Parts: sequence; structure tokens; C-alpha cells
Amino acid sequence: MSGSVGATMAVETLRMSVPYVCAALGGVVSERSGVVNIALDGLMLASALGGVATAIATGSAVAGVAGGVATGVLLALLHAVVVVRGRVDGIVSGVAIQLLAAAGTRFTLRALYDSASNSPSIEGFRLGPAGAGATEALARVLLDPIAWLALVAVAGVPWLLRSTRFGLRLRGAGENPEAAAAAGVNVGAVRIAAVALSGALCALGGLHLAFDQHRFESGMTGGRGFIGLAAVIVAGWRPGRAVLACLGFAALDAAQIVLQDRVAVAHELLQALPYVATLVAIAGLTRGARAPAGLGRHPDPHP
Amino acid sequence: MPTASLRIVADGVGRRYGAVRALADASIALEPGEIHAIVGENGAGKSTLLALLAGARAPDSGTVSVGGVPLVPATPREALRRGVGLVRQHFSLFDALSVEDNAALGAELTRGFGVLDRPAVRTRLARLAERAGLDLGALGLPAGALAVGARQRLEIVRVLWRDARALLLDEPTAVLTHGEAAALYATLRSLAGEGRTVAVVTHKLDEVLAHADRVTVLRRGRVVGSWATGATSAEELTRAIMGDASLPTLLRLEPPSVAPARFTFSASEGGLDLKLEVRPGEIVGVAGVEGNGQRELVRAIAGLEGSSRATVVLDGVALSGGPAERRLAGLTVVHEDRQVDGLVLDATLGDNLVLGDLGRCDEAATIARRIRAFGIVPADPSVAVRSLSGGNQQKVVVARALDREVGAAVLAQPTRGVDLAAQRAVHAAIVEVARAGAAVVLVSADLGELRALAHRLVVLVRGKVAAELPIDVDDATLGRAMLGLEQVA
Repeated sequence: MSGSVGATMAVETLRMSVPYVCAALGGVVSERSGVVNIALDGLMLASALGGVATAIATGSAVAGVAGGVATGVLLALLHAVVVVRGRVDGIVSGVAIQLLAAAGTRFTLRALYDSASNSPSIEGFRLGPAGAGATEALARVLLDPIAWLALVAVAGVPWLLRSTRFGLRLRGAGENPEAAAAAGVNVGAVRIAAVALSGALCALGGLHLAFDQHRFESGMTGGRGFIGLAAVIVAGWRPGRAVLACLGFAALDAAQIVLQDRVAVAHELLQALPYVATLVAIAGLTRGARAPAGLGRHPDPHP
Repeated sequence: MPTASLRIVADGVGRRYGAVRALADASIALEPGEIHAIVGENGAGKSTLLALLAGARAPDSGTVSVGGVPLVPATPREALRRGVGLVRQHFSLFDALSVEDNAALGAELTRGFGVLDRPAVRTRLARLAERAGLDLGALGLPAGALAVGARQRLEIVRVLWRDARALLLDEPTAVLTHGEAAALYATLRSLAGEGRTVAVVTHKLDEVLAHADRVTVLRRGRVVGSWATGATSAEELTRAIMGDASLPTLLRLEPPSVAPARFTFSASEGGLDLKLEVRPGEIVGVAGVEGNGQRELVRAIAGLEGSSRATVVLDGVALSGGPAERRLAGLTVVHEDRQVDGLVLDATLGDNLVLGDLGRCDEAATIARRIRAFGIVPADPSVAVRSLSGGNQQKVVVARALDREVGAAVLAQPTRGVDLAAQRAVHAAIVEVARAGAAVVLVSADLGELRALAHRLVVLVRGKVAAELPIDVDDATLGRAMLGLEQVA
């Protein structure tokens, strides 16, 4: 019995880590380029609805994924253009994007499906066996194409930052935008591209949530984007460590679900676990963390 | 590597910053194969002129042309594309990035599809590092971990990486020891020998006369004159730089009292293994090649990194608190990097002048007194410190440190990048606090400064006192001691 609880925990941890991991990688890419992005959660939420609506309209899960990613990229581009070209403070724009996503999804849900709570259900991918056992559950988690994309991102984002010209320029723009501009880097273009990529990564997180539930629910991200942002900070803006932090948060999430029926603690308290852990982690683990030196700073526009 | 020559000409250029006219109607021609020195007081417009020549700033009037073609648009990118590289006074490195990434950023070598070709980057970097005199052991480190001298070399590597045919350097030797400066000029000479155009902004006339081919003097934003260095003298240049102003003479130094030590420092961990005792009124000069523990010493005394492993005693009381507490106890510290450790660049001159004394003094009166005493220009407390010239920024730091009750003063490079008149003012202030009984530790790369002020010299090598020497020691002995070749107890 305890073995099966452990297995269930592990599988659930994997499954629940996907949205966190995607949001955190999105946060890393945006912030390492120097653009503050606190709207990860909103980007996830909007993309989730964008994906579900596209899937419903076309009847294709693949088209749904494309629609979700497009939604995330477009909304992120709005943030990028406002911050990079408009020189608006990234926090202010981020709050606006977050509110826009929260209100916009409720409005769209009402307009499209005449519902205050959720969309009609979608088929999604449904690869892998049915059944309640841990093995079947693991197969379903591993056969989810969105999880594959997330896995590609886990490997790809650190590689992109470390080993490509774009990644190097991105880090330079975030570390010292004036020097990057002086070295001939188009800091604005690099940042806009980075934020767009951030939007695509967040979209994967939102899509995973929605396709996992086979529908869109109002406010279904439940602050996961903010926990992903916390993982970024705890990890000192390093992608690999951010992924590990996300696995930690996901494990608490999974523990909460697995323990719900097994221990005599009010489940509201258990549900608060990941959020409490976030606070503790932020307070306890971020002392040595160093933000990109140019985060939120613009190069001199008028030399 | 063969390089097509590049003549850079400024014709009647002018530039204002807000209400301040930094440069007016200045003309200069930088010839290929020459080292051209640009000298002048703080605020004379040297850095501005260099920035205009390198496209870092656009002129309000006049034209800059590179190789006979006007520099349009006047951007660093365009200047780099034409082969003009600027090495700034305050470095523009990416501290968190490796030396390798710093060199390549903006002009990367790739294997196609935007994937970095690391082996090719390393090969090219190794070659250029050798050309620029950068220690090859540093290549894997983040730039932020390099000592100032090595950062300078990395800046030069970055410019060479882009095949610059002209190198413009803003006060490159301000932070270097005498030997490092000579080595840097040797590097610049060999670069000029390949047909490159080299321009150097500096305060040090001995360097100009020893290493430059041509010198242009600026005063209050105007070009006073231009000479071949063989056809001029230090006296003539000094007159051109200062105009009618005369130098204040340095106060003569008194021997220290024979009283017991007022300030002691000892540490045996954290890269430092030394004991320092300073009597009241005594100025101890700390000499050494950059990166041999000077920075660690100053920061441990100040109550920053490493202070928990060191013992600092002032007037019989062990100081164990943080920097603010130590300052209240009578310790005053000037750090070597004024922009990082000394100033809040975006705050006003007035606020910076009373940082640390807020609520403990009549602020307006203190600000006015410090501006007057140190001749800070502009004398307007409401301007941002960022807009002051480097020398005036340093005056702010020194004024705040020395214009108060001082028990012990630890001063790192207090006249780095500062003109002659300001140097004299800073030196006078140091002598004054010593005369009032303070124990003074003076860390400087400028041997002339150490000789002029200190009572005795302590030579640091790898965090240890390698030698204690009298101030009249000959250059050769001191040089050997700084290299760790001379063991004198």
C-alpha cells in the first residue's frame, strides 16, 4: 500500500510539475533578457483558453496547441512592446497583462460559451491506457505531447542560453544593456524575442493544465505562474535549478492530493502547502541569489 | 595582422549636457600608427571628446570623420563597424558572464544556425589575450572576478576581437601600477606599430612624455594646443593644462608621534595573512601589484566581506559591527571603485555628500562646506552625481570621508583619475587628518603619491606583507619587493 502511495506521489509530481516548469522557464528566459515578467500566470491562463477555444472550433488537439501558443506569444508580445518600446515599468505592465488575462478569459468564456465557470469539454490527446493504477497513470503522463514539449524546453532553454548566439546576447542584454548596445547588440529586438519565447513557454504550461482537465475553467491556473516565478527567484534565475525548484513545489502539490483522504487535517490547510512552501523558500533560499544586473534597466536611448 | 590605416578627425565639435557645455569647437586629428594623448583637468572635456570620436555620443555641432567619411549615425555600433573601439574609464563588461562570453558578445563565432563555436572562440581568445596581455589563467572566470588591471586588458581584448583599427582609451592607467602601466603602453605601442590608431586620455604627464607621440591639451572644453611630445616639456604642458591657475603647494609632513598604535588590523584567513599597526598621525603606504590583497584588506577593515575573519582595533576598542557602525566609531574608508562603493550615482550631489551623516549634522551647511573645501564642480547640490566628471565624483567621496572626526582613515586609490589641482586638494586633506592625529592607511598604485605622503611603505604580495620599506627606497628594490622577489622583514 505504501509503495503504491509512493508511486502515485511520484507520478502526480511529474504531472503537476509541467505547468510550474513551463512558467518558470518562461520567467527565466524573459528576466535573463532584462524584462521583468510577473504575468506568467496570466499568460498561462489566456493560452489555456486560447488553446481550448481553438480545439473546440477546429476539433483538432494539435490546432489547439498551436492556438494556445499563439495566444501566449501575442499577449507576451504586447507586454514586450509596452516595456521595451514604450519604456513602461515591467511590473506595471505585468500587472496590467495579468489583470487583462484574468478578466479577458472570463469575458471570452461568457461570450463564447455563455458560462461563468468553464468551457465545454474537449477531447485533447488521450494517448496511453485508461485505468486507475500508478503504471497507467505514469503512461498517460509520459505519453502527453505537451509534456514532451515541456521536456524539450527543459533541455533546450539551458542550451539556448549557454550555447547559442541568441542566448549569449540575451544574457548580455539582461546583464548590462548599455554595454550590450555598445557591442552592437540590438537590445530591444533581443528582449522582444525573449519575451515572446517566454509567452510560448507559459502557453505550454497553460495548455497542459487545460488539456489535462479536458476543458478550460475560469481561473484554472490558481496562481501556478506566480509559484513558477518564485521558483525562478529561488533558483537565482538559473533554468536547471528552477526546474528542480518546480519539482519540489509539484511534490508538495501531489502530497496535498495524495494525503487529502488519508490524514485528518483540514484539506484547506493541505491545499495551502505549496503556497506556504513558496513563502518559506523565497524567505530562506534566496539570500545568495543574484538577479540579472540589468533587469528592468534600459540602455540610454539618446546618446 | 595587416590593418588598413584609419585616420580619425574631429572638426570643430561641440557638446552640451543639459546646461553644461562640456566641449566647444574642438578639433583634433588622430593619425594611424601614433599614440595620441589627450590631457586636461577634470571636466576639461577629455572624456567627452573621446566619446564623440568613438560614436558613443553625438556632437551637437561640428563633424567627426573616420577614414575621411563622416561618422553617421554617431553610434558605437557604427563606429565599431568602421573599426573604432572605445575602452571606457568605467568598464562596460558583463560581470556575470565569463571572459570568453564577454569577448565574443556582439561579434560571435558560430557553427551556423546561431550555435556558438566554443573551440573557435577559445582559440581566438587565447591569441588576442596574449596580444593584449591578459593572463590566460583568467579565461574561464566571470569578468566580475577579475582584478581591475585584468578587466582593462579584457576591454582591450573585446575591442581587438572586433578587428578594431583604432583604439580609444579613457584613462586606462588610472588604476594601474607603474609597471602595469608601462606594460600596457608596450602593448599599445605594438598595436600602433601595426598601423592602428591609438588615443589615450590621461592625467599623467610623465606617461604622456614617455609613451605618446603627440599630445593635445584641453582646458574648459576647448583645445589649447597640440604638440609632438618630443617638442614639448612637462612645464609647458602643465601651463597649458592649468592656464593661469597656480598649484597649491603640498603641506609638509610631520613625523608621526611615538605613541603606541592607534589602529591595528590583523587577519590570517580569507586571502589575507598580515598584521598592520598604525600610530596616531602616521600614514602607512600600502604598495603592491593590483590583486595582491589590497581590495580584500580594505573591505575587511570596512566591515564588508572577510571582516568576520579579521581583527580591527581602533583606540583600544575592537570593531566588530558593520560599515555604518565602524564609521560612527571614527573609521573612515574610501574604496577603490568610487562608482560602485562610494556613490549613489542617480542621487544628487548634496545627498551623496552627506550620506552617512544624515540627521547628525546641519545638512545644508555641511554640503556647502564640503563643496567649497574640495572645489567640487558644478557647485550645485541638486545635480545628479552621475553627471559629474570622474575627478569631481572622487572629490565627493573623499570630502565625505575626511571632512569629519577621523580616528583612522583607510584610503584606496584616493586620487585615481583625478587632475593635478584636485590631487593636491585630496593630498592636503589626508595630511590634515593625519596631523590631527588620525591613523592613516593609504593604498595606492601611484608610487609618487605613496612617496609624497607616507611615512613608511608596506608591500603586499598575495595577501601577505612581503616587505616593509622606507619611503626613500629606490624603484628597483621596491619593484622587486612588489613582485615578491625581495624578502625584507
